[in-house]
Amino acid sequence: MHIPDGILPGPVTAAGYAATAVVTWYSVRKINQKENPRQDIPKASLLTAAFFVASWIHIPVPPTSVHLVLNGLLGAVLGYFAFPAILIGLFFQAVMFQHGGLTTLGVNAVIMGLPAIIAHYIFRIRRFGNQESRRKTGIFGFLSGAVAIGISVAMFVLILLTNIPADLDIGTERAALYTLAIAHLPLIAIEGVITLLLAVFLQRVRPRILDGV
Amino acid sequence: MHMKWRIITCIIFILILDLVLPIKALAHGVKIEYTVNMAIEIIAAYDNGEPMGGAQVTVYAPDEPSSPWLTGVCDDRGYFSFIPDTSKPGTWDVQVRQAGHGDIVHIPIGEDMVVTGGTGGYTALQIVLMAACFIWGSVGTALYFSRRRRA
Repeated sequence: MHIPDGILPGPVTAAGYAATAVVTWYSVRKINQKENPRQDIPKASLLTAAFFVASWIHIPVPPTSVHLVLNGLLGAVLGYFAFPAILIGLFFQAVMFQHGGLTTLGVNAVIMGLPAIIAHYIFRIRRFGNQESRRKTGIFGFLSGAVAIGISVAMFVLILLTNIPADLDIGTERAALYTLAIAHLPLIAIEGVITLLLAVFLQRVRPRILDGV
Repeated sequence: MHMKWRIITCIIFILILDLVLPIKALAHGVKIEYTVNMAIEIIAAYDNGEPMGGAQVTVYAPDEPSSPWLTGVCDDRGYFSFIPDTSKPGTWDVQVRQAGHGDIVHIPIGEDMVVTGGTGGYTALQIVLMAACFIWGSVGTALYFSRRRRA
């Protein structure tokens, strides 16, 4: 899911940085509009650590393996804090683990961060209508986790499919990308379930954490 | 006398024939030539240890870094080997790529050649230590911002 250095052409990485700058600015603006912007920093900080470590957790999906991303979970629980949290997590993953790259940091932030914001809005749907129930929290928690990773995989594959260099055997690379996309299908369900469990748990144990989102 | 000249002529003819026609059975000289070819072996694997079987390899020579000098595919073990052109000293770049994942290794060929090398500079212990520092930093930040203000 993390695009490393040397895979994408320069203009695409520059466009990624430009898009990331705009979304980060917008996210910080939205955070500052809150009554107490510092209130959610502890939550964001801990979930940044969770996002950072999640890429170490590999799930074997023969013939390959996939790792957790948790961008939907961050979006659901953090709201607009999710984008800067993911950006910071990606930066340290690139520097420490060579997971992703510094030139592709912008593109990766868009791939994982934008779906997190979408997940935030999906999770908010639980508030419409009647009383907020545990079932609704569970359903929209699952959807936010599943949809976010689904969109991320689609964006990842689309960006790479449109930027295969002419030197490579395009058919082979395309087939490898489709295989990778199929291997991520179980992850959509797994991330949905993880977000569901955490959302329901938080609502039962400490509902205040979900108040702001 | 006539007979003697005939024998001498016959011997001279055989000698000339022997020099002119290469008769294999009489060739006892051996000539061996050798050239040292240095092959570069590459083993590509994902960071969880899984080999990059079927990954595409692109080799770039130092004099032409924009167009590939050689392309190929890793075998099931993620193994690929090639013999570089030693008349082109400098840094050879080898990219291994599969489904958007991959890396480039820079291999110096010439005077400052090294026998082994690779990408991924940190040991497992260093990575664990750095990750622990990051997690502690995050927890510390969370604790700092969640502290209760004194009245």
